[in-house]
Amino acid sequence: MKFYVNARYLIVPIMSIITILGVLIGGAYAWVGVALFGINTVIDTLTKDIHLRADFDSQGESYGIKTFQYGIMYFMLPVFIALQIALAYRIFQFTAATPVQIDLFYGIAYQSGISGINLIGAVLSSGLWAGLGIIYGHELSHNKKEGFLVSRLVMALSGASHFTYAHVYNHHLDLGHEDDPATAPRGRNMYAHAWLSHMGQSRYSYNLEEGRLKKQGKSTLNVDNRWILGYLYSLPSLVLFVWAGGLIGIAALFAVWVIANFLLEALNFMGHYGLIRTHGLPVEHRHSWDNDSVFTSWFFIEIGRQCDHHVRGETYFWELDDVKGPNYGIGYFSLFVIALIPALFRRYVEKHLANWDEKYATDDELAIAAKFS
Amino acid sequence: MFKIFKPSPTSYQVKLAGSNTEFSVQRGDSLLNSALSAGVQWPFKCKVGSCGTCKCQLLEGKINPQLDFSYVLDGSEIQQGYILACQTMLKSDLLVSLDLDK
Repeated sequence: MKFYVNARYLIVPIMSIITILGVLIGGAYAWVGVALFGINTVIDTLTKDIHLRADFDSQGESYGIKTFQYGIMYFMLPVFIALQIALAYRIFQFTAATPVQIDLFYGIAYQSGISGINLIGAVLSSGLWAGLGIIYGHELSHNKKEGFLVSRLVMALSGASHFTYAHVYNHHLDLGHEDDPATAPRGRNMYAHAWLSHMGQSRYSYNLEEGRLKKQGKSTLNVDNRWILGYLYSLPSLVLFVWAGGLIGIAALFAVWVIANFLLEALNFMGHYGLIRTHGLPVEHRHSWDNDSVFTSWFFIEIGRQCDHHVRGETYFWELDDVKGPNYGIGYFSLFVIALIPALFRRYVEKHLANWDEKYATDDELAIAAKFS
Repeated sequence: MFKIFKPSPTSYQVKLAGSNTEFSVQRGDSLLNSALSAGVQWPFKCKVGSCGTCKCQLLEGKINPQLDFSYVLDGSEIQQGYILACQTMLKSDLLVSLDLDK
């Protein structure tokens, strides 16, 4: 049981490494990250009706091994760095016009040089899998000390280091309020949310630092400013890509960051769309949507158990459980595809919101909801 | 034999000043969660160190803060020894002051 509970969360580490190998082997394999994303969407959709509970022994103790799970999460930082280096290597080859030919590396065939079309595949693959760094960045943002720093560094690889502070001090505190940029109000589409939530969280993070430094009598323009520091953490990526490919390198890194941040905000969008909390009332299970079908649970290391997470924010992901809160009943991959088409998402979510209004909302929350209808 | 190999205690005791309330905190558990497990009506909201509801004043003992308290507590509170119970791990037995009427 212990092996099963701990090994099931290894899907992303394994697939991330396969994606890196795909970029390094080159040719059509550069698209492997995109292909895996597609395959995962199919698996997630086929298994949407399987929902499992968290596993505990007869004493109520979790089977999750903290040292192992933390080891994996920390290990993912060099994995995501390796993914960027692999992409930078391909960009370097492309801009240096390295001839596209089959070579051998210790007996393993790979394609030296890369065509434009396969470089696009490598960029898309890298963006999609860099974006999945959010699941570790998020978990570690709640888990202290060096874990917090690792979270900042993982997010910095996607130019989103501000997330770590904004998530803890803004999103968890202001969930369901209009002043939480990460909560999407009714009627907003995922594309608009990606921009508004990203900018809103970054602004919040800046204001948070400004306030903290002011209290200490320090200037905002200071290396102690963790908002500035967060963006400085992203500087090595920028330097690497400028060195590897000049303007093409910058364009590639920008594409990776846009895709990665879009995925991050897509998770925020799906986790709280249209849900409302009256100011001053405690956060309850009903203020989040669960997406906990089996593949989503294992792949996204239980980030879809939002209802439980927002009430017990200190709880390790492997201990989060189904708390019978609002639930879309499908996984993130399936819902993401629906949300990509705003009109389709609005139709899909209508019945879920109607159910929330009827079953979960208070009168005050319904009054706020009416403003958005 | 050597102090470096001396195992650290598996639990610490916490006493609330001005009351008979006392409870133990297992190594690796937070002050807040241990208090709640022991049945203490400790005020809390977010449990992630962002709301400040669980703050208390540390009178004696050593702690290991898990997050920077300065985002939630102001300078004078920090100087007076206020801490966030949800983000506090223990390094020794503690004596803390908590306003249970909040």
